[in-house]
Amino acid sequence: MPKEVENISSAVMDKIHKGQIKMRPRSYFLLGSLLVFIGLVASSITAIFLVSLMSFLMRTHGPMGQFRLEQLLSSFSLWVPLIAILALIFGVVLLKKFDFSYKKNFWFLVLGFVLAIIATGWVVDMAGLDDIWLKRGPMRGMMRNVVPGGNLGPGQNCGGCNRN
Amino acid sequence: MPSKEIKKEILSLTDEEIVEKVQSEDQEFYNYLMERYQSRLLRYANNLVKDEHRAKDVVQEAFTRAFINLNGFDPKKKFSSWIYRIVHNEALNILKKYRKELPMLPEFDFESSENLEKDFSQKEITRAIEKCLSKIPLNYSEPLALFYIEEKSYEEIGDILRIPQGTVATRISRAKLLMQKICQKK
Repeated sequence: MPKEVENISSAVMDKIHKGQIKMRPRSYFLLGSLLVFIGLVASSITAIFLVSLMSFLMRTHGPMGQFRLEQLLSSFSLWVPLIAILALIFGVVLLKKFDFSYKKNFWFLVLGFVLAIIATGWVVDMAGLDDIWLKRGPMRGMMRNVVPGGNLGPGQNCGGCNRN
Repeated sequence: MPSKEIKKEILSLTDEEIVEKVQSEDQEFYNYLMERYQSRLLRYANNLVKDEHRAKDVVQEAFTRAFINLNGFDPKKKFSSWIYRIVHNEALNILKKYRKELPMLPEFDFESSENLEKDFSQKEITRAIEKCLSKIPLNYSEPLALFYIEEKSYEEIGDILRIPQGTVATRISRAKLLMQKICQKK
């Protein structure tokens, strides 16, 4: 064996014997994978919620549509799409950590992910699931702050808005 | 020193089986893994960083990192691809760190009528190929070196470089064209 090659292995083994380097426990990697998964799920749910919220806000112009659209644009909460985009970017970054991400064309994967989020957000809004968020979900406070007209009473919910 | 029988037994083990032994039985087995890979990894690292001393640092750091993260390795996958991936990352770190200091390679050129395969001995061809590789962008030279010098499959190269197999094939094919242009200038 060449001398320099021997030096490498003996230097590494020496560090192991002296306890200078130690194997990280399995729990460290399990926790890491779990956090990545939770992060991906959380960012997806956040993005879906905000997309459904945007879809809801865009849909609120019924009779006197022009007037209500102008009102909507003047009071539209810009942080909603901003956080939705941030959640999507965070999701894409986490997606890259999974092994399957490099085996496929990554841009197609990103496009698929973004389209899936937008489609799910739209479906959630159309199916009226955002009513649940508005009434009792964890996003209740946020929905109430963003929905035009502000404080929605017990009788007023997304079901009362125009669904096309 | 281990007895001949133990050495024979270790030789019959796959890399992944040795990893499992390191993880659960005895860390001394890690030495056998290093013995298996260090020469190949040194050659690979040298192809990337173009400096023997830095290549040695890269491999040593890669083995250290691999040991620390060994419990994160999935024995169902190939250890070979995993350790090459670590060396690749370490080499890129070194390249970024010393980008400004990279040695300029001596200029070389071949005359138009020369045919490498006929006129040079095998050793000279290898040397010429290595020189050619150093003139090709890393994106192309690395898959080519992994395929021809390290004898890795497209799938393994994809796992090491974290790119789809289709991209590996494209890069190798472009690298061949680049080599033809650079090494057999007309």
